[in-house]
Amino acid sequence: MRLFENLTINWLGKRKFFYILSTSLFVIGWVSVAVRGFHFGIDFKGGTEIVLEFQKPVNISQIRGYVANIGLGAVELKTFGSKTGVLVRTELQKIPPKIYPKVVKNINNAIEKIYPSLNYSIVDSSKLSSVTYALSNHDTTNALINKLYKAGFQTGKVSEELSNKQMIVSVSIAEWIKDNLKQKLKDNPFKVVKEDHVGPKVGKELERDAIIAVFLSLLAILIYLAFRFKFIFAFGAVLALFHDTLITLGLYAVLYGVIPGLNLEINLTVVAAFLTLIGYSINDTVIVFDRVREMMKIHKTMPLLEVINLSVNKTMSRTLLTGGTTLLTVTVLLIFGGEVLRAFAFTLFFGIIIGTYSSIFVASAIVLEYANKTKKKVQF
Amino acid sequence: MKELRFRIILILGAIALSFYLLYPTYQDIQFTKKMDKTLAEKRKEFKVADPTISNSALDTKIQLLSDSLKSANPAIAKARSKRIKLGLDLQGGMRVVLEVSTGKLLQKIAKNPDAVFKQVMKESEKEASLSDESVVDIVAGKLEKRNIRLSRYFGNIRQSDSQIIKEMKKDAEDAVSRAIEIIRNRVDQYGVSEPTIQRQGERRIIVELPGVARVEEAKQLLQGTALLEFKMLKSPQFAISVMKKIDDVLAGDTLSLSTAAVAKNKKSEKTTKTDTTQNQQLTAAEFAKKHPFFSIAIIDPNSKSADAYVKADEKDRLKLLLSRPDVQKVIPPNTQFLFSAKPIGKQNGQEIYVLYCVDKTPQLTGGVITNAQATIDPQTNSPIVTMEMNSEGATEWARITGANIGKRSAIVLDGVVYSAPVIQGKIPGGRSEINGMANLEEAQLLAIVLKAGALPAPVDIIEERTVGPSLGQDSINDGFRSVLLGYILVGLFMIFYYRRAGMIAAVSLILTILYIMGVLAGFGATLTLPGIAGIILTIGMAVDANVLIYERIREELATGKTIKASVDSGFSKANSAIIDSNITTFITGIILYQFGTGPVQGFALTLMIGIAASLFSALVMVKVVFNYMVIKGIKITIG
Repeated sequence: MRLFENLTINWLGKRKFFYILSTSLFVIGWVSVAVRGFHFGIDFKGGTEIVLEFQKPVNISQIRGYVANIGLGAVELKTFGSKTGVLVRTELQKIPPKIYPKVVKNINNAIEKIYPSLNYSIVDSSKLSSVTYALSNHDTTNALINKLYKAGFQTGKVSEELSNKQMIVSVSIAEWIKDNLKQKLKDNPFKVVKEDHVGPKVGKELERDAIIAVFLSLLAILIYLAFRFKFIFAFGAVLALFHDTLITLGLYAVLYGVIPGLNLEINLTVVAAFLTLIGYSINDTVIVFDRVREMMKIHKTMPLLEVINLSVNKTMSRTLLTGGTTLLTVTVLLIFGGEVLRAFAFTLFFGIIIGTYSSIFVASAIVLEYANKTKKKVQF
Repeated sequence: MKELRFRIILILGAIALSFYLLYPTYQDIQFTKKMDKTLAEKRKEFKVADPTISNSALDTKIQLLSDSLKSANPAIAKARSKRIKLGLDLQGGMRVVLEVSTGKLLQKIAKNPDAVFKQVMKESEKEASLSDESVVDIVAGKLEKRNIRLSRYFGNIRQSDSQIIKEMKKDAEDAVSRAIEIIRNRVDQYGVSEPTIQRQGERRIIVELPGVARVEEAKQLLQGTALLEFKMLKSPQFAISVMKKIDDVLAGDTLSLSTAAVAKNKKSEKTTKTDTTQNQQLTAAEFAKKHPFFSIAIIDPNSKSADAYVKADEKDRLKLLLSRPDVQKVIPPNTQFLFSAKPIGKQNGQEIYVLYCVDKTPQLTGGVITNAQATIDPQTNSPIVTMEMNSEGATEWARITGANIGKRSAIVLDGVVYSAPVIQGKIPGGRSEINGMANLEEAQLLAIVLKAGALPAPVDIIEERTVGPSLGQDSINDGFRSVLLGYILVGLFMIFYYRRAGMIAAVSLILTILYIMGVLAGFGATLTLPGIAGIILTIGMAVDANVLIYERIREELATGKTIKASVDSGFSKANSAIIDSNITTFITGIILYQFGTGPVQGFALTLMIGIAASLFSALVMVKVVFNYMVIKGIKITIG
């Protein structure tokens, strides 16, 4: 089968139109960034994130109502994966001091339920993240640790020594949310399938590392291409990459919260997607440039505009086929890849389209504009 | 044909190697299935046998059974160690990033801290929690601003501030090594399979514990203070008599149990000696049956000590045997068996650990140690460790060493033995020297361990991620369904568009996936969820090289060239585009790997392996097939 063969389209003649298109995409995106800002996940912001998996489908706004007034301030809720998954997020690292005694009281109640009138004392409640109990003997301590764990609490021994009589119980935001939901949703039990805590310092560092990674890869590509082609080609290619990343980032701000089920917030996996986008887009650009390089050697007298048009037309079939197969797999990932990879797949989906577009209308056009402006002949 | 032979062998070799590398993964899946089935059946059986059994008792029983089944068949552990490792996001478990709190350490080593110092520390810690500057520098800066010399709190009066800062930084550095050693030791004992403990940057430690669901317990394990003890070794005679009793119990020989119990120490030592001579006539299987204990814990009959040597893969089995209630019954009070922390050597590629028989009650605990250092003894040129104790410890130590000259004392950290030196003489001042280490590294490790008891390295959890096993399983299922679907769609498309050549591309694509998996298994790399995404993406992008080549061949054919000439120039002209474009993508992969963490690294890795594999497929495999078809005169249809 043959499609797109012997094309003779004057792509670069229409470049003014595409400049306007790119600029408007850019402006729409970044106005949106200025107004709405980016939504960062806890990877960069720090905080606590919990995913609950219910047995039966839940009504998210109902749950939102339940956790709104439990003293944790702003709590974000989203569906996670199917209708039975709920993601709860807060920027808090530790439970507020006001809530702490309430959670401890809940633990006490649970102990009371397991062993009525058991003799115990609280020996350490100075840390907000846990509470330490002292019991009368070793065996009871072990039994209680196991039973409380089965009841849904995170418990542990204070030491591995055989004489250990102390038990530590986790007091976290997750614990408090679980306690509250358990009471409200008695007929729909759930379990915690994922729980992340990221400290604020780590978040800042991850953010810095992500930015370094993106810039470093752009720089490495610039150097490699300057070496393999001419500098102006490398420059055009890297500018095209900036174009792709910035427009896709803008799209993140535009579409955040618009499409149901698509959670567009920036986390580590999304950064990986951006780097892959850079990788894919540059791949595409190089293919076109490779042809331009070859055609320039063959048609030494042909004007650059025509050489580029010819090259773009000759590679068009490949561009669309590879773009098509990659888009196909990314679509599969978008639909069937599960919640964790959805934003990743979306970034690539859009990135492949914009990357293919930019190899022609940004990277090649810049080489052309440069040649026109300097009136110099670009040669290999 | 001849010119193709080498490449055909190369391709067949690559395929065979991939299958070979993936075989353990297949085995592991089969073993797991079988094991789950047996355990489920046994569970029912136990329940029928004892309907009143509690769930937790049943769990422990099943756990014991599964442990013993696993240790009974070494192939299971072998397959597991060589399979494709799954990231935490796929198999569930917890990942914790710990940071050694230099602030807390400084507070601990400060001399006569006063209110001013506490204020300075409080401010410094707050500042440090948000900046990259080291706490030592922040504290030094703050004290300087207040015109207080560092020697007021640290080091001694004769030292300059810069010297003290250097020392403080070294202390902070030491604290990280201590923390890592303590954590490694505990994680090993906790019995997590395939844990990773990695140092990151100056004072961070990343710990990954697959399959761990008891988060608080694990956190306690990572953060709790270390327990260092000095325990006396039992005399060889006593130790051997105990081991004999255990051996008898395990062999089910209750009669000799009583005789062994009455037998005098000396006599029992003799029996073992005669036993070992007899044993030489027994075959290994017979010996194992007659002496289940001594066949695992091997005693050198010519040695004066009762140190038993145990192979690494039999350690767990031995622990299990020792924990049996009937065995526990014959172990006298105040007696316990402890393993060495590290293997002492290798035999037939197997690491060998030592089993020591020691007093249960420690003579001394580590809190009394004030300092420990590894140095080279200038006289003998061999590594030694010197340790110092506080006055209280020194008095005790003088008494202990005086009463036990010639005996051995085990240095035990969190339940494993790091060294068991012989006490040469009474040590009055607490300043002791330990020698007999093979190299300086070993001595340094011992110094770290000795300090661990006195100066616990306080660690804070700064990042904690847990994934439940069910979410992981869902992710695996989703991932592989997507891989399959992606492959089918792309494969069908290629066949539809390029006909026979498309078929070749589709087959080479499946081999590309095989290579990726093979390389992952071969390198012991970890497959994560984004890693699976990387494979899916590779499926889409891998055909790029094929498309480039096919389009070129079509172009060449259109100019009227022969099939052979078109194939040749098609491949050679597509070369530069394929190489240049893939190298740039590879560069982003490298950077992603460098800067990413955990799952993202997994993605970068599969992306890079995918690029290499797809290049091999297109430039070597597909080319050979085309060349072969040209030579044989088979019609090549490209759409």
